[in-house]
Amino acid sequence: MPDLSATLIYDETQTAIARPRVNGDELWLTLADLVSSTGWEIKAEGICRGEFCVPLPTGRSDSLLSKEGSDTWFNLTAFARYLEQPVAHDATHSVWLFGEPPSAWQGRLNSLIAPDFTLPDLGGNLHTLSQFRGTKVALACWASW
Amino acid sequence: MPVWQELREELKHKNFEVITVGCDVKGAAAEEQWIRAANPTHPSLIDERHLVPELYNTRNVPTTVWINEDGQIVRFDEGIYLRRRNRETGEFTVTERYLNALRDWAAKGSASGYVLSAEEAQARLRQPATEDAQATVHFRLGAYLVQQGHAAEAVAHFKQAHALKPENWNMKRQAFNLGNPEQDYGTTMQQETQIRPSYVPLDMPALPEA
Repeated sequence: MPDLSATLIYDETQTAIARPRVNGDELWLTLADLVSSTGWEIKAEGICRGEFCVPLPTGRSDSLLSKEGSDTWFNLTAFARYLEQPVAHDATHSVWLFGEPPSAWQGRLNSLIAPDFTLPDLGGNLHTLSQFRGTKVALACWASW
Repeated sequence: MPVWQELREELKHKNFEVITVGCDVKGAAAEEQWIRAANPTHPSLIDERHLVPELYNTRNVPTTVWINEDGQIVRFDEGIYLRRRNRETGEFTVTERYLNALRDWAAKGSASGYVLSAEEAQARLRQPATEDAQATVHFRLGAYLVQQGHAAEAVAHFKQAHALKPENWNMKRQAFNLGNPEQDYGTTMQQETQIRPSYVPLDMPALPEA
């Protein structure tokens, strides 16, 4: 597997990975890089992010974990397939972008609670939608194109 | 934009606020002149990565979402121009009908006849499918590459997004605007709108004025 540096965009977090393992579209990370760039870590309960854990898929742990000497590598691309997370990869610039599984997105929209966001204005001041609770808000998306 | 500013000044004492979000991969560079011309006193935000279209699963602009005091979505309309310029005559027409609906909601809140039922609001927001999620990551990667100065390599990712979600006009119009649609994508907006209409008519009851 050739070693290149990679740019990983995981949800909203962007991390430069100095020594990933790359195999085609597959991105393998050390367990240290895994936790610092994605928040996922291996625990007794399985693969956990904060309080939320998913069990290691039985019979498929080989496709997720690989031991080489003292290092254990984690296949983030295979894990995304397991979680039904969408992934896009640009080989030329070695960029991986992992998005949100559609199930999480569906649940949020179905609740009809307006998804929260924080964005800057022209002066760089940040505004958060949820700060306007208690007020009726007309949210209008436009574009110059 | 100027119409939103006027409406905001008119209705601000009715516990009503306007938030505009300009979606453009080129960010402030593309939007500044429009924002300055409108001179808004309401939050006028810049969304370089099309976060709001992603979160609300919108597919075109302008789109308006009504959010009540509890943070609940009570109405969703896609492709609503408050003011539209006639390309031939240069004349502006204002969609008074929609402004009146907003005035009605500002005055009556949940009792307004323009507030949608939960079922109708959910139907309009549409359930994102696997294709939406896949298209979104390709679009985001394309946008990231453009912002890093790799516009040529972005085209392949924008094409994948378009193939997955041909009815998403945000992703098409933004990508076409960043390059040459004929050279890069083998099509034009005119051809695309002949295949499928880019705007659906406003679906809103004709209620007596407030």
